Amino acid sequence: MSEQSGTPAAPPASFGGADRSGSAMLVDQSGLGSRQARKGGVVSTVGPIFRAANGWVSRYFASLLVIMIVLAIALTGVQHGASLMGEQIKNALVLGAIYALVAIGYTMVYGIIELINFAHGDVFTASGFYAVFIASVLHLDSLATGSFGGLLLALAIVFPLSMLAAGITGVVIEFVAYRRLRDAPRLAPLITAIGVSFLIEGILLVFEGPDNVTTHQASWINGQAFAIGGVSIGYTDLFVVGMALLLMFALGTFVRRTRLGKAMRSTAQDRTAALLCGININRTISATFFIGSALAAAAAIIYSINYGVLKWNIGFHLGIIAFTAAVLGGIGNIVGAGVGGFLIGMIYVFGGSIFGGEWSESLIFAVLVLILTFRPVGLFGVEVTTRA
Amino acid sequence: MRELLVSLLRSEPAQGQRTKGTSVFWILSGTASGLLLMGWLLPWFVNAYSAGVGYSAQDVTVSPPTGVGTVLIYILAVTMVVLVVSPLAEVLVPRLRGRRFGRTADRIRLIAALAGLALTAVIWLLVSVIQEEPLFGSMGPGTFTDSAVWLTMYGYALAALVYGARPWVVGRQTLAFGVAVLPFGLFLPLMFHQAPDFLLWAAGSLAIYMLLALGLNVVVGFAGLLDLGYAAFFAIGAYACASFASPIHSIHLPLWVLIFVGAAIASTFGAILGAPTLRLRGDYLAIVTLGFGEIIPDLATNNVFNLTGGPNGISGIDQPKWGFLDFGASPRWYYWSLLLVSIAVVVLFRNIERSRVGRAWVALREDEVAAASTGINTTTTKLLAFAIGASVSGLAGAFYGSLVSIVSPDDFSFSVSIAVLSIIVLGGIGNIVGVILGSFILTFVIFWVLPNMNQWSTTLSQTVHVPALANIDFTSYTYIIYGIALILMMLLRPGGLLPSRARRIELESTVEGESLAAVQGVA
Repeated sequence: MSEQSGTPAAPPASFGGADRSGSAMLVDQSGLGSRQARKGGVVSTVGPIFRAANGWVSRYFASLLVIMIVLAIALTGVQHGASLMGEQIKNALVLGAIYALVAIGYTMVYGIIELINFAHGDVFTASGFYAVFIASVLHLDSLATGSFGGLLLALAIVFPLSMLAAGITGVVIEFVAYRRLRDAPRLAPLITAIGVSFLIEGILLVFEGPDNVTTHQASWINGQAFAIGGVSIGYTDLFVVGMALLLMFALGTFVRRTRLGKAMRSTAQDRTAALLCGININRTISATFFIGSALAAAAAIIYSINYGVLKWNIGFHLGIIAFTAAVLGGIGNIVGAGVGGFLIGMIYVFGGSIFGGEWSESLIFAVLVLILTFRPVGLFGVEVTTRA
Repeated sequence: MRELLVSLLRSEPAQGQRTKGTSVFWILSGTASGLLLMGWLLPWFVNAYSAGVGYSAQDVTVSPPTGVGTVLIYILAVTMVVLVVSPLAEVLVPRLRGRRFGRTADRIRLIAALAGLALTAVIWLLVSVIQEEPLFGSMGPGTFTDSAVWLTMYGYALAALVYGARPWVVGRQTLAFGVAVLPFGLFLPLMFHQAPDFLLWAAGSLAIYMLLALGLNVVVGFAGLLDLGYAAFFAIGAYACASFASPIHSIHLPLWVLIFVGAAIASTFGAILGAPTLRLRGDYLAIVTLGFGEIIPDLATNNVFNLTGGPNGISGIDQPKWGFLDFGASPRWYYWSLLLVSIAVVVLFRNIERSRVGRAWVALREDEVAAASTGINTTTTKLLAFAIGASVSGLAGAFYGSLVSIVSPDDFSFSVSIAVLSIIVLGGIGNIVGVILGSFILTFVIFWVLPNMNQWSTTLSQTVHVPALANIDFTSYTYIIYGIALILMMLLRPGGLLPSRARRIELESTVEGESLAAVQGVA
């Protein structure tokens, strides 16, 4: 019996560039094999059971997860009443929108150069501070809180500028830290990525201090839009989710319809072949980093508008959570990252409301371990449709 | 199991170790002049350090050696050291191996070491009896002054003992020993004199970081599995110590039991973490271990099952007291124990690196499929790496808990894992000697240079009248230093400062297999 029995055999080609070399196989085939069963009495009985469970869990992972989330929502509704449940669903959607935007950055970079860009979460934090800086330099606060037109203008200024700055940051990071290591053993760029992450955190710590920084953007979009059965939906919530969906839609269109998007997809599939077709690999990868970081910047602005605080190290945990979302959706899969982001938002919020808020992050990390153990190809597995 | 134990204890010579030829003259004279210089610089070092960590000048006063007799003793000490470090030369200069520095030389060194020890004792007695000002300056056995002289005497007497006994203890592990023991020797006289506790603390934390780095080196360096949650095992060891030797559960076990308990629990967790992640590839493994490393402090913070004391942690951890060995009175006994444990760990890891298991790790690291096809049991081999790596971390954790007497979840954050990773990346992934060097450099920078920079910049700001300089808190630059160290090392010298040969070939594979690289990953 093959250890792979349960996992629907994902053809390597369904993963961005995963088939380029033997070492790049997502799941190595030499793990819990029959050799282990031969070894000792205990293992020989546990092994098959584990494999069977593994296969079953792996096959129905998506359904199990959705059932659990629905159960958690229902449980919250029963315990705390419908209005709190609605409130929590709203919170989960808002949080999920942020995770989704950050997760897309992870998934695009992983899809194209197979690197967990640990610095991505910190690019998120940094771009939040860019936005604060831009807003304070251009005195956008008074503009944004003055009138509705002023608010729109302020948003129209702060979003593109911060996204541009973040995108440049991402491109610079790729150029300085990753480009030269593209052909190095896998461990090298990974360690550099951690280094970049720590470097950014350190710079933010030195310049922004160790405490929470209040972002005035919190007061930009105010007021209650409407209420559904006791749950008040604010303009902020609408804006957050709407903006996230809009950006994701724009990205999807970009990747599907434009030449550069096509170049990204082909580079992700097979870098060598893309090169042979005349695609400028370096520029394509830079563009990927630019877009991923710009989306992280959008997420950071949304975050600071919604929560009103930034801190030098929020990006680290947020990054891991967003990465979990990317893994959940199947890494390399943009739509998957979006869906995964919202699912993780649900798990975070409802896990917190059931087990207590202090367990939310542990729960996410546990989910991460479970996904990677049972279904490393992510929820959608083989049925990957759009990739970058 | 038996095979593992045997491989831990039996040393095998390194295969085909080539080293660059360096003149033995340069090594010996370099060592000698370095030591002489250090003897005079160390007082400044100690003073500056004490200033850096906030001790006032009255607490610690160290002066360079004075008096004719002192200088004579000092030169004697240096001569002895030069004799003793000749094994280093032996390792560095291959053509001397087995000739002038052979077995006879080993015997000579042992005799020299014993004589040196005896001589040290005699001088120590003489100084304490005579106490003549013109001859010995202000030096006396009970004072911390002139520590440099005593430092060299004691430190290298111990080094000499280890070197001298080398052929009987282990095979050819001279360099590892040298690097492991020599810098410890620097701190050694502090044990006998009224050394300020902060120096002992620094030495203790250095030793703990070194142990952690040695353990992580097994996982990352030998087996090539990137573990980003290594602090979790450290936490497990520390919490094991805290739980079984503090008032919190009214259990009081002695430390020497607890280090094994901590190691055992940590290695169990290592294997538990390893089991589900066996099938994962390098970077996924990294992120899973990272998640694990975040969960463990979270569990401690949330006071799971009321075991861990919540965010405040567990305080009042026992500090052993066996007769005059009062660990609570001074950190010096921790330092001694840590020194012994570090040496033991270095020896054991050196052995296991060259054993069948160690070679299996290397094979696994280089090519897992090929390793499996040659009959290596990848499952047990990987789990073994995780378990052994974690056990040392647990052991260090138990020491840490007992040393600081309070553990709290904040002590085991991600930055600890990264600090340890930076150490091995800086020193040389997979190379024990490099890892030891890295731990010295990094702890030196983090615990000495950065605190001192605050002091220096304050002084400088008064001199040049730039008040802004005084306000810079250089200790907050720690993250930047880790980050830059990781990036620069990977970009410029991926093997670390002292790269292991196999690792260097692996990391610079473009040089070795140009055509292969061209085929596999164009652009």
